[in-house]
Amino acid sequence: MTSAVSETKTNANNIQGILVNDTENENRKRTAEEKEKEEENNNRHLYVVIEQEEGKILPASFEMLGEGRRLMDNFNSKYNPKENVVAIILGHNIKHLCQELIYHGADAVICADHPELRYPRNLLYTKIISQIATDKSSAAQISSSNNTFNKPRYMFFSADDTGRHLSSTVLAELESGLASDINKLVINDLEIRHEHKTKGKPISYKKTLEMYRPDFSGFLWTTILCLDNLNPENKKEFYPQACSIIPGVFPQIERDTNRNGKVIDFTPTILQEDLKVKIIGRRTIKNKVDFNNKKAIVSFGRGIKENAEQNIKLIENFAKEIEAEIGISLPISKKPYIINENLSSTYMIPDRVIGTSGRKVNPLVYFAVGISGAVQHIAGMKEAEFVISINPDAEAPIIDESDIFIKGKIEEVLPLLIKEIKKYKEKMQIPQEVK
Amino acid sequence: MLNPSGTLNVAVIVKLEPDFSEGNVSYNSDGTLNRAETKNVLGPHSAVASSAALYAKVKYGANVSVATMGPPIAEAALQQSQLICNADELHLYSDRIFAGADTLATSEVLRAGIKKMANEQGIDIVFSGHRASDGETGQTGPQTAWKLGYPFIGNVIDYDIDKERGYVRLQRLIKNYGHNDIIEELESPLPVFITLDPSYSPFFNTVSQRLNLALNQNDAEKRSSRYKEYLKTFSAQSLELNLKSVGLPGSPTIVYKVEKIPRAKANRKADIIDGYSQENLSQVARRIYGILGETIIK
Repeated sequence: MTSAVSETKTNANNIQGILVNDTENENRKRTAEEKEKEEENNNRHLYVVIEQEEGKILPASFEMLGEGRRLMDNFNSKYNPKENVVAIILGHNIKHLCQELIYHGADAVICADHPELRYPRNLLYTKIISQIATDKSSAAQISSSNNTFNKPRYMFFSADDTGRHLSSTVLAELESGLASDINKLVINDLEIRHEHKTKGKPISYKKTLEMYRPDFSGFLWTTILCLDNLNPENKKEFYPQACSIIPGVFPQIERDTNRNGKVIDFTPTILQEDLKVKIIGRRTIKNKVDFNNKKAIVSFGRGIKENAEQNIKLIENFAKEIEAEIGISLPISKKPYIINENLSSTYMIPDRVIGTSGRKVNPLVYFAVGISGAVQHIAGMKEAEFVISINPDAEAPIIDESDIFIKGKIEEVLPLLIKEIKKYKEKMQIPQEVK
Repeated sequence: MLNPSGTLNVAVIVKLEPDFSEGNVSYNSDGTLNRAETKNVLGPHSAVASSAALYAKVKYGANVSVATMGPPIAEAALQQSQLICNADELHLYSDRIFAGADTLATSEVLRAGIKKMANEQGIDIVFSGHRASDGETGQTGPQTAWKLGYPFIGNVIDYDIDKERGYVRLQRLIKNYGHNDIIEELESPLPVFITLDPSYSPFFNTVSQRLNLALNQNDAEKRSSRYKEYLKTFSAQSLELNLKSVGLPGSPTIVYKVEKIPRAKANRKADIIDGYSQENLSQVARRIYGILGETIIK
């Protein structure tokens, strides 16, 4: 990601209202020409790269179609000519999936069905997705427009392992910009003034995709734009404007069997060279950390820090007492504390992360211990039936996701709570034994 | 086939990142990272990549070069990586023009650097980390691989080289969030570009490997204490880069704005309980029991 600070101003809704001097007027004229040029460019449509595993479309792919549909419906009500949501799907024996993609919001599906495409392999998939993204004849079947097609205007990938790698290599091949882990998207006309892109002059960029990405802390939102270089010294067009989208953040649209769309068969060109990475075996393994079969989850965050080791032991005891699985917030997976190696390698690991960069869970009871409640974490636990937080700070955002908020320090609250639970268990067990 | 020298040549790409460990990391009162107060270290995923190079050195007698792009202080990452993998060479790609690069422009510099190594000595494997712990895009590795024309293989948890055939055999972990994970076994001719899964850890299973490991670790300490003797610095010019394809000019993307994520609407109305009152906690225990019931009391 760039660390460049760009001097920008949001949109040109009221350009006419701005007083400008002569040189700026000159600039505006040039801007108008640029605008026309932009209108003429041959980059069209939103292409969405679908993922499927053994003939099952992954939910994140339907979510991307849902968001794509919403964006392009707005786009088409604002701009002319109309543009489409185009799904790209690769695999073997997958023709029957194409109609599903249309029911879930695609206007057209480009399908490459070939035995070699059964499982994603980065090299081969990158070649074929890039072929599809620059294929004029498939694009001609999508819309009847007479214009020739260059590249997609926008392109979406899923921010899972496969999609993240593919987005990177495809965009390296297409030589355009890519933002990762996006959770909000807006299409807008923006007035940009940037030291390099516009050589410091204000220029209006039409139909620009604003890609919002939460940073690692979960408290900052960075908006990334992919913009043509309009600097006279280094002009360059950058399409598609592409991003990878966090699974689970956008809603799917309701499956509608009345929706119509075109299915285009794409015959891929596969060279011997593209097949040099061979899959020898593939096996499914059970996750070591199993959140699905536990009725309770106890998660901890940076709030444990004052006495990390002792607090983790307390949490371990507490979880054992109520038969809960243990989760963590993202910062903990970076192993920020030096503690007993065994505890560290058992608990401070990516497999336990709950949130957008980990698992989504919905237990009967979720305990958030020393967790402040960054948006990424909340996305992973908000479906829990009942939420109990332990935190000394009643201002922490997690309070808005809690049914019970226990105000206090972990090291003082947990021992008391464990004691009370034990008492309860004893009380309830005795009569059972009598029976 | 292996490169013509007959020695396995390995490159590692690393990054200097904020140190997220307690005592070194500093957060602002609003929860964001205080970059000025936070120290920088070799990123944790870069350390994993370095340990994969150590495995190549111990097991296959590889020649290892570590590279990074960054300002002069990024030397620290090279030194820390050398301490892990006993690197034979350290390459710093440093030029003012590289500043402000997005992943595509960064990978252009790394491509040129690795290409230079490949032209001079031949390269069989490039290792890099899963993703940086600050940027967290995970894009730079695969983009560099693509520009180099090397097959990209990510999330690798184990690898072994067949030097005779010039092949690598690997296992990779594919996470299917919410579903069961998949282990995939692959084979590819060299050269390849590998990013390691965060769970990767080299395993030395024979006595001779363990002896070799000890020798390398000993050597690594000596070398990294005099790391500057192993360090070469390259500018855009010495990498023969087109200045329009690096730094700001070579970046398709810009950061348009940074804002605080607005606090979401409250979804629940919390009962706030004083956590130091035994009576209150007794009530909480009762409610927990009410929900979990027989699960916890058998």
